[in-house]
Amino acid sequence: MNATTNPLRRGLVDDRTGDACTVVIFGASGDLTRRKLMPALYNLAVSRALPGGFAVVGQARRDKTHEQFRAEMREGISKHSRRKPIDEAVWSDFERGISYVAGTFEDPATYTRLRDHLAEIDRERGTRGNRLFYFAVSPAEFGTIVGGLKSADLVADAGARTGPWSRVVFEKPFGHDLESARELNDTIARVFHESQVFRIDHYLGKETVQNLLVFRFANSLWEPIWNREHVDHVQITVAEEIGVEGRGKFYEQTGVTKDIVENHLMQLLCLTAMEPPISLAADAVRDEKVKVLRSLRPMERSMVAQNVIRGQYGRGFVRADEVPAYRDEPDVDRQSCVETYVAMKVEIDNWRWGGVPFYVRAGKRLARRVTEISVQFKKVPHTLFRAPDGGITPNVLTMRIQPDEGIALRFTTKEPGQQTILRDVAMDFRYGAAFGSNTPEAYERLLLDAMRGEATLFTRRDEVEEQWAYIDRVFDAWTSEGNTPPPVYSSGTWGPEQADDMLARDGRRWRKP
Amino acid sequence: MSTASLSPPAPASGVLSRIERELLEIWSTPASPGEPPKARVCTMNLVVVAGEREIASLYTPVVDDVTRSIPARAIIVALDPDAHDNALEADTTAVCARGESGEVVCSERVRLVALGGVCDRVGSAVEALCVPELPTTVVWLGRVHVDDPVFLSVAANAQRIVLDTDYTSLTSLLHLARWAREDPTRPHLADLAWTRLSTWQELCARFFDDASTTGLANAVTRVAVRQASDPGTRLGSEGALLLGWLATRLGWKTSRIGGALRFKRPDGGTVGLHLGTVKRPAEVAPTALAGVTIEAERDGVRLKGTIERELGSGLAAATPDADVLVWRLEVEGKQALEQRVRLSANKGAKVLERTLHRPTEDPALTESVAFAEEVFEDGVVCS
Repeated sequence: MNATTNPLRRGLVDDRTGDACTVVIFGASGDLTRRKLMPALYNLAVSRALPGGFAVVGQARRDKTHEQFRAEMREGISKHSRRKPIDEAVWSDFERGISYVAGTFEDPATYTRLRDHLAEIDRERGTRGNRLFYFAVSPAEFGTIVGGLKSADLVADAGARTGPWSRVVFEKPFGHDLESARELNDTIARVFHESQVFRIDHYLGKETVQNLLVFRFANSLWEPIWNREHVDHVQITVAEEIGVEGRGKFYEQTGVTKDIVENHLMQLLCLTAMEPPISLAADAVRDEKVKVLRSLRPMERSMVAQNVIRGQYGRGFVRADEVPAYRDEPDVDRQSCVETYVAMKVEIDNWRWGGVPFYVRAGKRLARRVTEISVQFKKVPHTLFRAPDGGITPNVLTMRIQPDEGIALRFTTKEPGQQTILRDVAMDFRYGAAFGSNTPEAYERLLLDAMRGEATLFTRRDEVEEQWAYIDRVFDAWTSEGNTPPPVYSSGTWGPEQADDMLARDGRRWRKP
Repeated sequence: MSTASLSPPAPASGVLSRIERELLEIWSTPASPGEPPKARVCTMNLVVVAGEREIASLYTPVVDDVTRSIPARAIIVALDPDAHDNALEADTTAVCARGESGEVVCSERVRLVALGGVCDRVGSAVEALCVPELPTTVVWLGRVHVDDPVFLSVAANAQRIVLDTDYTSLTSLLHLARWAREDPTRPHLADLAWTRLSTWQELCARFFDDASTTGLANAVTRVAVRQASDPGTRLGSEGALLLGWLATRLGWKTSRIGGALRFKRPDGGTVGLHLGTVKRPAEVAPTALAGVTIEAERDGVRLKGTIERELGSGLAAATPDADVLVWRLEVEGKQALEQRVRLSANKGAKVLERTLHRPTEDPALTESVAFAEEVFEDGVVCS
């Protein structure tokens, strides 16, 4: 920040401080603010990453005083911050910057009150007119809020090279299909330039996801073999043990494909498959991700039955506890056809990946909670050694995103002794063991990046729309089939048998991570 | 833990063989029933060399703390060249910490005491014990002489040498910097005193972040540095390095007028310098930086930035590992801004840990040291 102008920033090693600004959280009464946003901001304060001029304004419908809001936030931080107990010296400074503005999103007076309050904060706390608007609200409210901000003249010109800035951060879902995503993007674009828009996919804030770029592009070992010549196939798994956890109503509208595949899983696929970017600048990285999305072989209707497997969890046992079927969850239709599991065979039609399938799957109530990317290399061309199953197990490189973040490489060795007996072993690198587990949480990284105007870890409009364009075809096919109920899999398993069959047809099988 | 001092003296190679066996045994011993399994993790070799046994003993808990968060093979070497015996004493143990998910992660710690003539061969012993293919950092406790064969032999396989100029001298670091520059294969340098300055640097930079004050960085008229010491004490490393850093970032040259030290800005303006002291609480390191004031003026706009360390405040607070800094910016015609931030933890282990996390190459350090040494090593005192 300010490295080009402030001579004291030249060569500063720990220069990761946000720009002076006020963070305005719309929907500040919600869980996200208490559980994620405020703990993340407080953690940034503890680690001295917040600037001298900083303030947070909570905005929501309910009337409450600044003191009440501060007390709620303190409680949230005490419970959910990774840094415990609260550091009173830091808190006393941090809380002075916290305030609250009540009002409905529809009422123009809300925004004029907010404008006056922000002006006062600028004077008192040196926040320099910079605003980071965080929409912790339903997408249905976005249009109203951006309109209110515009009308109250709270949005700075994106083209100005100096002077105050305005940025807006919002959470997924970025629409529920391509059309609604475009509408949403258009709504935002009427007020904010794309350079001011920060779409959060919190997966991108995870250390191990960022490490994917480092792992691929800072190690010369991988790039020569990261292609169809050496890779047999790739498996990406986002598995959860939990069910819908009281969010039956939301899930009935969403399903796992829209909740996980369209965003998190597609982003993991892009980072795995993309070409080296020319730099780490936001658009350089995002351009390469978009190229991957544009290279995805469109899922024609006729392909969907073969290449996309849905499932819905039935009763079963997870971690030895009996759990109900999806249809027995509260707020779920007893005849629901919503998928809680999906497995897809994705093909990337480009020079690097032609003929290498990417098998992706995501589901709830699966056997274990795990998110991983597994690159399975080709078998050796000729077997010199006698192996029990007639062949040597191919090498597998696995990047675990959660839990136990790390990287493992499976390879074959000889067991000590007179005979040549082959044994698979794994070199296993665990992030937590090597670097400690007290790493910044995704929201810390992403909020700080937004304050600094660094958009690399946020999704761009065209990425979101390409993702939806791909996924929409799958939904078209399901709709044309009359939306038949998905096969039921027992909770605590790895999904429906049909998903195993999909890989078996290709002579492959799913990993059991 | 196994410990074995050898008496009568045995060949050093025999001692190393025993240590290597013991290191293997640590990991081959299965956990007792009910005991959680241990994982050996090693991300680097951390070699600590002390000129006395006592200093090595005092520093051992610091190393153990550091390897709990940065798993390493730690090799702590005490040199006793004046001993009558020519021998190498050694012991080894695992230093373990339980992670958040219950797993026990262990580092290895080897302690060596080189007696008499064996000191000359300690580099060879260290090389034999380092884990291959991993980076090696040497922490040198005490003054460094770049023609010292013991130092040269230990440094030969290191990627980084860490000093603490608060306890040695800027001259040591400067000589080392020159030595390192002579050959690009030589290790990079780090200084614990420089790491301790990082929060001060960040806060000083904040005075000039606003577009309306950035230009004032080139119009500084006065700098005051306060350190925790008695009046008449020499300016410590932290204060000297901070002034070196400011001067090299802002292009200042030294200018002595009537014996009084000042700085000249690139535009010819003068920067007054005041070096003061504040009372030092017992638990605060001698000559620790206690406050900085920077004043600037241009075109009628005046800026005054102060950073005051609430000395000892960290010791009574809930997070008892660092003091609080109060940052204050006053710009004429504007509301004054104030912020309280924790000074980065100043315990030895935390500072070393942060140093090890920093990039190995830091050009600002060598530039600042060169400036600071030139100006302050001849004994500038604080009033």
